[in-house]
Amino acid sequence: MFKKKALLALILSSLFIFLMACGGNDSDSSAGDDSGSSDDASSGETSNEPVTYHYFIGTAGDDINANETEIGKMLEDETGVNFQTEYLVGDLMEKIGVMVAGGQYPDVVVPDHAIEMMLDAQAFIPLNDLLEEHGQNILAMYSEYIDRFTMPDGNIYYLPLGPTINEHVPNPNIDQGAFWIQRGVLKDAGFPEINTLDEYLALIKDYADKNPEIDGARTVPFTGLTYDTSFFTFSNTPNHLAGFPNDGSVQIDMDTHEATVYADKDEAKAYLKALNELNAEGYLDQEMFVMNNDDFLAKISSGRVLGFFGYGWQWGTARQTLEEAGNPDREFMALPVVLEEGIKDQYLEPAAFTQNRGVGITVNAENPERIIQYWDKLIQEDMQRLVMWGEEGRHYTVNEEGRFYQTPEQVELVANQDERKNFGMTLFEWNWPRVNGTFSDGNAVEARRQPEVALETYDDDDREYLDAYGLSTFAELFSQPEDRPWYPAWSANIEQGSDVALFATRAEELQKRYYPQIVLANPDNFEAEWNKFVDEYRSLDGLETYENFFTETIKARLEGNWQYRN
Amino acid sequence: MADAANVAGTIVKNKPKIKAQKGLRYFVRKSIEQKELLLMSMPFLIWLFIFKYLPLSGWLMAFQDYKPARGFQESEFVGFDQFKFLFQDDRFLQVMRNTLAMSMINLVLGFVTAITLAILLNELRNVGFKRIVQTISYMPHFLSWVVVAGLVSSALSVDDGIINILLMNLGIIDEPIMFLGVGQYFWGLLGASEVWKSVGWNSIIYLAAITMIDQEQYEAAEIDGATRLQRIFYITLPGIKPVVVILMIMNIGYILESGFEAQYLLMNPMNMDYAENLDIFVLRYGLRQANFSLATAAGMFKTVISFIFLFAANKVAHKLGEARLF
Amino acid sequence: MQLINRLKGKRRSVDDLIFDTINVIFMILLVIVMLYPLLNTVAISLNASTDTVKGGIRLIPRVFTWYNYEHVFTEATIMRSAVTSVLRTVIGTGLGVMASAMVAYTISRPHFFLKKFVTIAFVLTMYMNAGLIPTYLLHRDLNLIGSFWVYILPTLIGVFNIIVIRSFIEGLPETLFESARMDGAGEFTQFFKIALPLSLPVIATVSLFVAVGQWNQWFDVFIYNSSIPELSTLQYELMKVLSNSNAAFGSGAGAASQFANAQGGVVDVVTPQSVRAAMTVVVSVPIIMVYPFLQKYFVKGLTIGGVKG
Repeated sequence: MFKKKALLALILSSLFIFLMACGGNDSDSSAGDDSGSSDDASSGETSNEPVTYHYFIGTAGDDINANETEIGKMLEDETGVNFQTEYLVGDLMEKIGVMVAGGQYPDVVVPDHAIEMMLDAQAFIPLNDLLEEHGQNILAMYSEYIDRFTMPDGNIYYLPLGPTINEHVPNPNIDQGAFWIQRGVLKDAGFPEINTLDEYLALIKDYADKNPEIDGARTVPFTGLTYDTSFFTFSNTPNHLAGFPNDGSVQIDMDTHEATVYADKDEAKAYLKALNELNAEGYLDQEMFVMNNDDFLAKISSGRVLGFFGYGWQWGTARQTLEEAGNPDREFMALPVVLEEGIKDQYLEPAAFTQNRGVGITVNAENPERIIQYWDKLIQEDMQRLVMWGEEGRHYTVNEEGRFYQTPEQVELVANQDERKNFGMTLFEWNWPRVNGTFSDGNAVEARRQPEVALETYDDDDREYLDAYGLSTFAELFSQPEDRPWYPAWSANIEQGSDVALFATRAEELQKRYYPQIVLANPDNFEAEWNKFVDEYRSLDGLETYENFFTETIKARLEGNWQYRN
Repeated sequence: MADAANVAGTIVKNKPKIKAQKGLRYFVRKSIEQKELLLMSMPFLIWLFIFKYLPLSGWLMAFQDYKPARGFQESEFVGFDQFKFLFQDDRFLQVMRNTLAMSMINLVLGFVTAITLAILLNELRNVGFKRIVQTISYMPHFLSWVVVAGLVSSALSVDDGIINILLMNLGIIDEPIMFLGVGQYFWGLLGASEVWKSVGWNSIIYLAAITMIDQEQYEAAEIDGATRLQRIFYITLPGIKPVVVILMIMNIGYILESGFEAQYLLMNPMNMDYAENLDIFVLRYGLRQANFSLATAAGMFKTVISFIFLFAANKVAHKLGEARLF
Repeated sequence: MQLINRLKGKRRSVDDLIFDTINVIFMILLVIVMLYPLLNTVAISLNASTDTVKGGIRLIPRVFTWYNYEHVFTEATIMRSAVTSVLRTVIGTGLGVMASAMVAYTISRPHFFLKKFVTIAFVLTMYMNAGLIPTYLLHRDLNLIGSFWVYILPTLIGVFNIIVIRSFIEGLPETLFESARMDGAGEFTQFFKIALPLSLPVIATVSLFVAVGQWNQWFDVFIYNSSIPELSTLQYELMKVLSNSNAAFGSGAGAASQFANAQGGVVDVVTPQSVRAAMTVVVSVPIIMVYPFLQKYFVKGLTIGGVKG
């Protein structure tokens, strides 16, 4: 009898839950239909009442409340606004997809590469009037760039991140692509000047012959990163060797501004040929096409790799480990290697502007003007200085000429991840409105780009190498970037699922399938393998459409239109 | 009974109607008769309808170029275009081959290893030891594939991978093998990793099944002088057969579910021709392109194949006189 | 009985001994192979993260540190999400197993006139997937988004579990039920007094399945409740840490990192492998502990006769 009652109770309670679940009145999910006019922002009076907005960021990171950081607290005190940030955990497309389909948005969204979906859904409110009224500083900072992110309908829906203001400062240390070489190899050979791929590989082979083992383990003369989404590292290399920066999978002619793919061109063939020979002679890492990112980092950190191509930001953890290991000759130095004598290297990035990424306010946000006000404070020079440099005297020092630099203690403090997080550097340095380039006083916006800071971080071992090559910074070895007003081409507005996007996917898949085979082929079969790839590649649907799309995009950008769409 | 005969014998034209009436009457009568059973299942049938059948209306999008921004009403209808894209892709056959191969390997290995482990565990005499082995054997199940893939990849490394070291020391090979670099090895490696990760977990259900076998049977067999192996083959295995058959029928329905994370994480340019399965294909051309319609179309395709295999397996089991699913 | 056993045992001792020896050796090997990943993860979690990058950590940490655990436990969200994890596991398992058992009982009754219909209705759903967006829209319309119940209701019943329980109940001697019916017991009484207690091993098994399923679930947190820190779970916190890693899979985040990093200029923020390992240990250990408690139900066989008597 008792059991019976328990059962009935269970059934009743489950039914009750259903009713509770179904019966509740629909939440304001209709917000998606709201075309989000910004008229209501004209109330003029601004409130200081505490409010917390939900800020979704479509990349991985550590969730934090803005007011848990010093900078965020400061801004909260002034504006009463706080942000609860949420970084992406699973798949971006799924997350943005359900947001859009369900019409339920966080207040602020950084949709990363799913921005088209947000725009398509009119999930962002137009910011023009709000900026006019509450965001004069934002307008001033973004001034030259505003046309680039104004949509064809005349509205601004999102703010891109990091427009270059005043002067563009290339990074004094290499954080982009380069051929890296173990410094000991250079020292051993008497600090030779290395320009071409042949010279580079010859040097490495020579050292490997002399040192078949390093610290008791087999020497790995040359390797690279090819895993999954890092594959572009490998497939981009020929373009760099031919003297171009990272424009993605197309090469932009400096005179005609025509875009061509290079995967099937001579530079790709030459690079693969070089690797093929390297492999035949036993100098290529057998696991180059098998390692995942962790394996790659482990290999680099072990100190037995002599050379590899990679982007500086890809192996930061390994670099740190090598530094801490305490053998400076096992650390790496970046070289601007080109295919042959006479090619001018273009590894350093020119001033770049990514118009199709950014942050927008969604139709769900109440009183969006308060978010704009917050951003308007954040974008001002003194706040940007706090975000990028920290507090004067604590995180950096100013010399008599007004130049910022860091003392050794400050270098260490700023490198501390907890300090960066608590102060708010980690939070605000990306995914929020921000600038790049130089401040009005001539100091670099980003501390790491300030030559004085770079110099301070060099120790005696670094100087040994700098002096040997007569450099003051490691980037001096590289040519200055030429002006590329369209840069970067990869930020073209490619519609997902379009022929252009499908070609990109298919082409990459084909390269993934063939490039390793070509490299690992018996040298006698190299030509045949290469030709097989070229045939397949050129017969892919949409090759021409793809090239034309980029040519048109570049053309449009040169005419000032950054919103070209197919 | 008389009623039924009467009806059958008279007006043939009205038969369906009357039958329906009879069906309804039968239904009502049975419902009253078995109101308790009905009460026990009805709430959950309603649950089933709401949570599992209602959203199937979303399959509509397989015939659309669905854009989340536009919703079902305003998305463009494209007929069977998504299915065509799927089936006409050059790689479709290879993808299907990989999917089927890996899921068959997983199916067979999964059953054989889990049942074997359960039986061997059951034969352990020391209860404490048995408990320890059991608990440990199911631990890998709790590591996520990201972690396991990392372990697999480092265990298989050419340089200091434990597998190569072991094989070299045992003199089985002279040169380390780049296991993940050879496409042909992939299915085997994947199957082995799956077994490693889930054999303990999968054996739990068979252990539970073994406990339901009447202990008296064992005692009787022992008295008759049956050996250990005989007891396993004549008592334990037949004892758990109904469960095995039912699980097998259910799993055969999952013929196109060969897993996703494991393949994705262990895949590299050298083995992708063997690693890429339907789910990875759909990720690349569906989700990554924000094409939810393609994903739905692929899902429907899977459902159709599942049903065919499910009903066939059920039928075969029935024909063989085994337990069946429904 | 005992005596006979002992006598028989002696006679076949050679056979038995061989079998037992091989079996025990096999089990020891198995334990080594199975324990390795866990011990390896523990070792990595106790190793300094900059050293772990070099690889090669197997069973013993090279540079010992508690730092990774400190790091994990200083996250304010850990305790809160542990509470949610426990709640969803307990409630989800309690309701889920009860519901599954009840449905299983009805379709195990040979005389139930809807037996086939109910069975097929449930089984078919195992192979049909409405897709993410339609499911999301349904849950939105049911007001489940942003609610704890989205963890419980949509996954209340696992069809697999129903079928498993059903086949056990079907294995029970029908005479037990018949004699109960003679005594005037209704279906509810038969369910609670006979079916449930006698299928305890399978109930324990299914409870384990449901509990582990609930504990390991992160996707529903991601899709429905990611904006509400109070409803986060341990597994979701683990996924946060893992998706911060290089090995992030399947996610567009990986595809985009090329661009984000090229532009952000920020060096890859990668959660060190050691912190990932520490988090894995913290998240897995509580649920692994559940097993030994349930184990007693299926280590020692229950005899039907024993229960009857």
